[in-house]
Amino acid sequence: MQTNTATLNLLLLFVGLSLNAASVNAEESKAEKGKAVFAQCAGCHMVGPDAEHRFGPTLNGITGKPIASAEGYDYSEVFKTAASDGMAWSVETLDDFLKAPMEYLPGTKMAYPGLADESARANVISYLATFDAEVLIAESKVEESNVAEPAVKEKAPVILAKDVEVPTHGVLHLGRAAHVEEISAWDIDIRPDGTGLPEGGGLATDGAEIYDAQCASCHGVFGEGEGRWPILAGGFDTLTDDRPEKTIGSYWPYLSTVYDYVRRAMPFGNARSLSDDDVYALTAYLLYLNDLVDEDFELTSANFASIKLPNEDNFISDSRIEEPTFVSEGEPCMTDCIAGLAQVVQRARVLDVTPDTEDDEAGAGLD
Amino acid sequence: MTNNNHDATSISATESVVSESETIESGASNTVVKKHTRRDLIKKSLTLGAAAGGSLLGSRALASIPDPLITEVQNWNRYLGEGVDARPYGSPSQFESDAVRRDVAWLTADPKSSVNFTPLHKLEGIITPNGLCFERHHGGIAEIAPQDHRLMINGLVDTPLVFTMEDLKRFPRHNQVYFLECAANTGMEWRGSQLNGCQFTHGMVHNVMYTGIKLKDVLAEAGVQLKGKWLLPEGADPSHMTRSIPIEKAMDDCMLVFAMNGEALRPEQGYPLRLVVPGWEGNMWVKWLRRIEVGDQPWHQREETSKYTDLLADGRARRFTWTMDVKSVITNPSPQAPITHGRGRTVLSGLAWSGHGHVKGVDVSVDGGRNWHKARIDGPSLSKSVHRFYYEFDWDGSELFLQSRAIDEKRHIQPTKNALREARGENSIYHNNGIQTWHIRPDGSAENVEIS
Ligand code: HEC
Ligand code: HEC
Repeated sequence: MQTNTATLNLLLLFVGLSLNAASVNAEESKAEKGKAVFAQCAGCHMVGPDAEHRFGPTLNGITGKPIASAEGYDYSEVFKTAASDGMAWSVETLDDFLKAPMEYLPGTKMAYPGLADESARANVISYLATFDAEVLIAESKVEESNVAEPAVKEKAPVILAKDVEVPTHGVLHLGRAAHVEEISAWDIDIRPDGTGLPEGGGLATDGAEIYDAQCASCHGVFGEGEGRWPILAGGFDTLTDDRPEKTIGSYWPYLSTVYDYVRRAMPFGNARSLSDDDVYALTAYLLYLNDLVDEDFELTSANFASIKLPNEDNFISDSRIEEPTFVSEGEPCMTDCIAGLAQVVQRARVLDVTPDTEDDEAGAGLD
Repeated sequence: MTNNNHDATSISATESVVSESETIESGASNTVVKKHTRRDLIKKSLTLGAAAGGSLLGSRALASIPDPLITEVQNWNRYLGEGVDARPYGSPSQFESDAVRRDVAWLTADPKSSVNFTPLHKLEGIITPNGLCFERHHGGIAEIAPQDHRLMINGLVDTPLVFTMEDLKRFPRHNQVYFLECAANTGMEWRGSQLNGCQFTHGMVHNVMYTGIKLKDVLAEAGVQLKGKWLLPEGADPSHMTRSIPIEKAMDDCMLVFAMNGEALRPEQGYPLRLVVPGWEGNMWVKWLRRIEVGDQPWHQREETSKYTDLLADGRARRFTWTMDVKSVITNPSPQAPITHGRGRTVLSGLAWSGHGHVKGVDVSVDGGRNWHKARIDGPSLSKSVHRFYYEFDWDGSELFLQSRAIDEKRHIQPTKNALREARGENSIYHNNGIQTWHIRPDGSAENVEIS
């Protein structure tokens, strides 16, 4: 009897182990794929031993953890309420939340439309599971204790004001010469004639992949803009309409602005994370989304300056001074300037704009 | 029954007028908020007012009994208040809690690329308190330790340079009061009256005293080459904000500033270093300034192509429309600050400014522009700074159509909104400096209207 049980146990253990091994492999590849999905989260969340809170909390050890429990992070009211209700993150709740965060927990600060694709959700959850809170803390402790004791600090020599070196440049001799590496790290601007472009290039087809992973959640799969996020494509021949749609294709004068802006500011929340060639590929794809090039177009530092955007010639310089209202001779009228009594023709409360009329003032009215 | 109750009630009566436009707006953005009708609100303010002895106009009734606030000893007359250590950095009185910046949530997709508005109707004089200066960010507020901040000058210069904040404070310092107005201020009003309150129609302006150094002094250290005609300032925030600025402006009056109204810049205003471009649109006043490049041509950055270009009716668009034209607005009374005292002596007050220099005069009309009266400018009249104006009159209690019209030192006269529409169409978004009309009703409430 006893032996039997023991054997059975052993057997179970064995089977269990091998099952585990197989699923560990599957988990690993899921996690690997999930890492790519996490690019969409990385603008707001950090994971790993050096993780700090960004706009969103760190996500180490999230599975199994109570909601809103990352120390030192100020969660939204709805998160705090869920925490006091005892909610915890399981694979299931994470899956529901990530499908549509703002619907699952209305009022959440996580301004992210969600992951519609079920396998993408499963993969990113597996990826997150590879960051165990405890282990990480333990690891970082080990690392810390391995750091050699700092040598006894030598007393810094006293420097006298009269011995400080004064540079020779300029008038007041202030500041210091910049290093070439410093200038190239920051000087990334590009002009319409192509000045400033890095060597390289990218295919629109590669841009499509990056775009779908890192841009489409806000700007829409076709550049049409999700909700109130900016629209990037379309709108041709709408500039004289009641509600013009100003996009890269319909409005922007120069392609250099697309490259420059995407490289310096996008994706929103993770600026400067794209490689130069990624930006070429994305710029090529944005041209494609605007029907300006073919699907297999390659944009390179060599052909860049030859691409013209359709609306370039419609920009003129400041001519306000020529408007009749700017005539500044004479004195303004002081008495009996308009005949009849004033009549209300429009009221704010009648016209309070509603965001349902999407494209107009909403967002666009502001910039 | 202390004075507190009294104050709180009159504030909430005012508030209810404000919250009407807010409820309607946010109601539409799917937030479940109860919608009020105007009648509800008036009813509400009447009931509230009655409780405290007055409606919007309630405090008019002449006191028939001795005022207990005078005849009885109040708590604050008797008990000791907080000591000196209670407020190491003082804040406004608890009774001023509605003097705050407000946003219009549905305007933008995300608060990190958004705007809020200065409560102009709560301000006096010409200086905007630091905590009330409107905010416009494109990637949230960058938090930068001053010892970690660097300013680089590169491009067409003899010696590209790097400065620390300490270096910059060794240049000669200057103090100047300037207004900063977003080019999109009043931009929502191009198609007609939209937002009910001068905070929302005109609150993308503020006016502070800056302490800093002259940009030309800093450029002189690097030595701008003859070909250098344009500058590109750049911010250290995640939008890495950039704008092209002609060198003439830089050499004229641009400043690099580290203080506002006597204290360090606020983080939301670009701490530790901001560019000041007097009289020109606010977007150019790059915050968290970390680099200035010198070039021979403009760069045509996103904020001077996709944005901050003025689309005209014929489909063409003006670019590099930098100067903010002459403009004024009556801040009191206005929709968020109705007349609560009934007929009789009334103080009308407002702000006027021009990117072309001094404001030379402000006229006020109470009949919708039929007749105008010279307003009194009071307080300092400084170039490219807001001017405070007043017009005191006896209100007979009939409806009013209040307007103000400023004239600047170039003798540019503030135009009507319709004159601007005629010249530019309705899709310009930016540079709307048209004359604003507030309709004052016989109950003292005020509304943003357009009139014939
Ligand atoms: C735009 C920024 C943003 C993006 C993008 C984003 N998040 Fe979040 N996330 C947040 C914020 C902010 C919170 C805190 C929510 C709150 O307090 O309402 C949060 C909360 C969470 C939580 C709960 C944390 C806790 O401690 O309870 C999880 C899990 C999470 N996010 C996962 C993700 C994943 C996975 C992605 C990518 C697929 C993602 N987030 C993308 C901002 C973001
Ligand atoms: C989290 C949402 C989000 C993501 C993801 C995102 N963007 Fe944006 N994008 C924005 C916002 C917000 C703005 C406007 C920022 C501002 O106000 O300055 C913007 C502006 C832009 C603009 C300028 C639009 C205009 O009309 O001026 C372009 C081009 C752009 N994004 C491209 C991209 C690309 C390419 C990616 C992917 C690499 C990307 N964005 C990812 C939110 C996002």
